[in-house]
Amino acid sequence: MYWVSVFTEAGIFAILALGLDVIWGWGGDFDLAFYGYLALGSYLTFVLTIGRPTPPVQYILGWHLPVLAAIVVAMVVVVGLAAVIGAIALRNLRDIYFAVTTLGAVSALYLIVENYTPLFDGYNGVYGLINPGQSALNLTYNGYRIVFLVIVLALLFLAYLLVQRLSRSPFGRMLRAVREDERAAAAYGRKVFWAKYRAYLFGAALAGLTGGLFAIFISAFNPSAWTPQELLVIYAAILVGGRGNPRGVILGVFVVYIGFIELTRFLPSPASRPDFGPAMRQILIGLMIILMLRFRPEGLFRERPGLDRAPRSARRRLSGSIGALATASAGSTDATPTSAPAATAAPPAPPAPAGSAADEGGPG
Amino acid sequence: MSAALLEIEDLTKSFGGVYAVRNCTFSVPEGQVIGLIGPNGAGKSTVVDLVSGFGRPDSGSIRFAGEPLVGKRPDVISRLGLIRTFQTPREWRNLTVMDNVLLARRRFADESFWLSLTRARRIRREEEAERAIVRSILERFQLAELKNEFAVRLSGGQKRLLEFARIAAAEARLIILDEPMGGVNPVLGARIGEAVRQFAVEGKTVIVVEHNLPFIERTCHQVVVMDLGEVIAQGPFSGLRGNPRVVDAYLGMDQSHG
Repeated sequence: MYWVSVFTEAGIFAILALGLDVIWGWGGDFDLAFYGYLALGSYLTFVLTIGRPTPPVQYILGWHLPVLAAIVVAMVVVVGLAAVIGAIALRNLRDIYFAVTTLGAVSALYLIVENYTPLFDGYNGVYGLINPGQSALNLTYNGYRIVFLVIVLALLFLAYLLVQRLSRSPFGRMLRAVREDERAAAAYGRKVFWAKYRAYLFGAALAGLTGGLFAIFISAFNPSAWTPQELLVIYAAILVGGRGNPRGVILGVFVVYIGFIELTRFLPSPASRPDFGPAMRQILIGLMIILMLRFRPEGLFRERPGLDRAPRSARRRLSGSIGALATASAGSTDATPTSAPAATAAPPAPPAPAGSAADEGGPG
Repeated sequence: MSAALLEIEDLTKSFGGVYAVRNCTFSVPEGQVIGLIGPNGAGKSTVVDLVSGFGRPDSGSIRFAGEPLVGKRPDVISRLGLIRTFQTPREWRNLTVMDNVLLARRRFADESFWLSLTRARRIRREEEAERAIVRSILERFQLAELKNEFAVRLSGGQKRLLEFARIAAAEARLIILDEPMGGVNPVLGARIGEAVRQFAVEGKTVIVVEHNLPFIERTCHQVVVMDLGEVIAQGPFSGLRGNPRVVDAYLGMDQSHG
């Protein structure tokens, strides 16, 4: 059962990382508020499902919604919060300014949740969502946990398909262009803010979903569950796996969570210093980020663009012209008409001779 | 004389009390190649920024095909059919050459978030026609073999060609080139000149900001000369040699460059 729980957690965080990767990997925005979206989604899932609080415990709502409906509502609210934070932070702020603004936003959220007890019972947090639907499904405790793992992995697969589809779409390409050079993107007609904003809301929606799953997974949630360091681990996972590459990001989460955190479990934890293990883990994660950035900054799987395959006619032409290349001396493609409708994309001119003038451009 | 596509009137912009552009007035007839020249600091690039929405003038008006541009965002102006370049090629570095030029095709409707999710297959099918056009553009700029290469890996000269491939793909009505000959060798320079003339043949209007006067002389129908933020002359290049203000400001000192 231990491994079921490890894989469930990794699966949930993989969905979260996919969402963050859309914002940071494609959009290029180093968002520090992101873990706050998971937290809000989690809190909301609790207060929408666990019913009225019994004093002295206090929290808002206290409804008895079915858990699925609660997660959907939580996602909507989370996207709403992201819409506000994103509208402020994404408009003109970039890089470190964006990061600091989102850090400020999540810190404010953190302080409010921690200190204003009528909201989510302050530091004690909320709890009591224990295996929702277990009796309805007629499952044992362990059976439920396994089913939950399957659900999480299925959702992860769905999220992966969704993100992968977006990644290869014109939307993904446009978002990456905005990341690479905003001014050039604007010069070619792209609405920079709107592009980033949509990515931000999509990422936040996935964070809201993971918040709901997380609520079911740990069945209790309080401020200690969403300290800023948690986000660092997600960023580390994206870096290791390959920023911008959905497959890499999932791999990165599993490598970091299972490989790394499980290995560091065997660190000595002397009784006099019970926090030695966790602290050491943070240090090692920091070290891993530095090493990755130094030796393999693109991650295990590099962001892979969709490659353009030559159409059949052009491929034939290419193989045919290999022999011709030996004889062709200074053929030029200049004569190609410019606005040719190019139904075949294969003008009769031979391909440009290798080492043409184009290679000798100045430093530019 | 054909109707003016771009009309700039009394344009003024100052940065902290220093005028970069002052009462600048000129117009660009449709279908012509106009050279915008002047010594460093004359305000040429500021004019380009103001026209393309990357800066806001203090006063004055800019009209593109009759439409006022002042106050519009760069992307809005771009969608009206005005494409500009920057002094250094600003390629999207970690995208392929193919993607760079495909993006310049500006099929905005396909970039909808929902359509990208729900109509992925149809969009990909329709994009095949676009790819075919882009492939022929890449052939024209000798980038066909590099189409799947990341733009960041191109040489400086290839990046210039990529910039022109993007412009050719964009099918703009007005093209503004900000120092296209910067750091370019003579062979590549000839290609660039040819590309600019080709744009004119296609009926596009081009503004070229450039220090390379022989290039201006060969490619431009008319020249606008700026100095200290003001337009000091406008007309065919040949007529400028006799203008003492122009010679004083620019030609006299720069003619030896070539």
